[in-house]
Amino acid sequence: MSNRFDLYVARSSWLHRLDPRTKLAFVGVSFALLFLSSRLSLLAGYLVVVHLLLRAARIPSDRIRWLWRQMWPLTLLILLLWPIFYPTGQPTLLTLWRVRITLPSLLQGLANALRVNGLAFAVFVLLVSTDQARLVQGLVQLGIPFELGLTLAIALRYLPLLYSVYGTITDAQRARGWRAEQGSLPERLRAHVPTLVALIIAALRLSDTLTLALAARGFRPGHPRTTHRPRRLRRADLLCLAGLSLLLAIMVGLRLGFCAFSCPKMGKLIK
Amino acid sequence: MAEPAIELYRCSYRYNPDIPALREVSCTIPTGTWVALIGQNGSGKTTLAKMCNGLLRPDEGRVRILGQDIAGQPVSQIAHSVGYLFQNPDHQIFAPTVREELAFGLRNLGFLSAEIERRIEEALALFGLEPYADRPPAMLGYGLRRQVTVASLFALRPPILILDEPTTGLGWGAAQALLDRLAELHQEGHTILLITHDMRLVAERAEWVLVLHEGRLLTEGPPRQIFAQPKMLSRASLSPPPITRLAQRLRSFGMRGDSLTVEEFYREYRALTLKERACS
Repeated sequence: MSNRFDLYVARSSWLHRLDPRTKLAFVGVSFALLFLSSRLSLLAGYLVVVHLLLRAARIPSDRIRWLWRQMWPLTLLILLLWPIFYPTGQPTLLTLWRVRITLPSLLQGLANALRVNGLAFAVFVLLVSTDQARLVQGLVQLGIPFELGLTLAIALRYLPLLYSVYGTITDAQRARGWRAEQGSLPERLRAHVPTLVALIIAALRLSDTLTLALAARGFRPGHPRTTHRPRRLRRADLLCLAGLSLLLAIMVGLRLGFCAFSCPKMGKLIK
Repeated sequence: MAEPAIELYRCSYRYNPDIPALREVSCTIPTGTWVALIGQNGSGKTTLAKMCNGLLRPDEGRVRILGQDIAGQPVSQIAHSVGYLFQNPDHQIFAPTVREELAFGLRNLGFLSAEIERRIEEALALFGLEPYADRPPAMLGYGLRRQVTVASLFALRPPILILDEPTTGLGWGAAQALLDRLAELHQEGHTILLITHDMRLVAERAEWVLVLHEGRLLTEGPPRQIFAQPKMLSRASLSPPPITRLAQRLRSFGMRGDSLTVEEFYREYRALTLKERACS
């Protein structure tokens, strides 16, 4: 992966063509869905659907594997720690000194692990199919002030640059015999002063230059702006938004028990 | 006979599996030589240079510094033998004072306090930084910040100095002063590996030139021999310095066409005109 701060994969798929606002709505509905239910089949099903979406959008499998690689330490941590720290219900599967592992806590840990991965993949769908400029444009159209949108765009744009600058700074200090991998934790943290201070100085210089460059090109915060490329929601976006709204309504309805009252089997679906 | 300063044997390196940055480069740099490393952007110059101080390790091949294979050595150990000057001074400067900045590398390499003080004073004097010794280096102008980084490299006095475009952004006077300091170190026997796009600098100062193109060592030799091959240079998107090109254009008028400096050109041209006058 050439740029680890920009997950965007350029393709011309239906997912890429969707308006960023639609994809932001997808993220919002996904979050609601994942938090409203603890049912394993539903959480696992969500992940399956997201993977199908990603494959249909021709996102390379190495990108998907990359996210799984990033997520597995956290997944493992949840799977291990949840049953240890929240041993609720019966039956007890294992008792070791003061540690008691029960089946419900094990399943709850699994549900939480699936939920966290689901949240990550929901955001991944947005970032992998929306370039930064369009994402910021979408946020601005949702009502975020342009200045804030521009700040976000610049921050996203400069993250890889600062990362690369940090790499160079580390190399420059290593070339002068600097080592940070020795001593106790406080000593190691203190040892990072030469790289962090140099990074802050470089970042300040960069921001100063950038401010001047923006001013030189006529940027005036708070000044009214015209819109060069107004974005309108297409039919596909409207259909997706309608589907997401319906899904959200059903989920909230089921959770609040409206459906459960008239159809108890449905209520159990998401609990 | 002294061991070569740098030996690379069939070194290859890839940042990305699809794009090789360096392909089977082999070269030997004798101790005490002033070498220029030239090539267009992306030709592998910095990759090769970083391999010489262990910041990058070759995927294949071997690197020997002063006769020793550096494969198992940490960068902090190699730093005793190889000093590396990065292109941008802001990627190095962090200390609250110039004095502290100069002391940083010396402390890392384990020098005693008295020696550190002596070397700092010497570096400050040599680079004219005494008036700024207790000022924050980050607040100095670009030229002075560049001088601080060179002075901090100078204070370490490693036998091999690698400099990545040290004169970029410097005015003519500051650049000449910096090159004069380097020439003094060279006179003392230090090996200098200079990455540069400035062909005039190469012609005037270097003793040996390595030409990189698309990660391969295209050719190597003394500057006069390298600049006598304009076709080969243009393959690497390079060209001889203007004075050499002028001399080459005047071959039909009797010039040898291998002048590297204005002085050389002037001497040859004067001799030629005097000869013509005598004949007529």
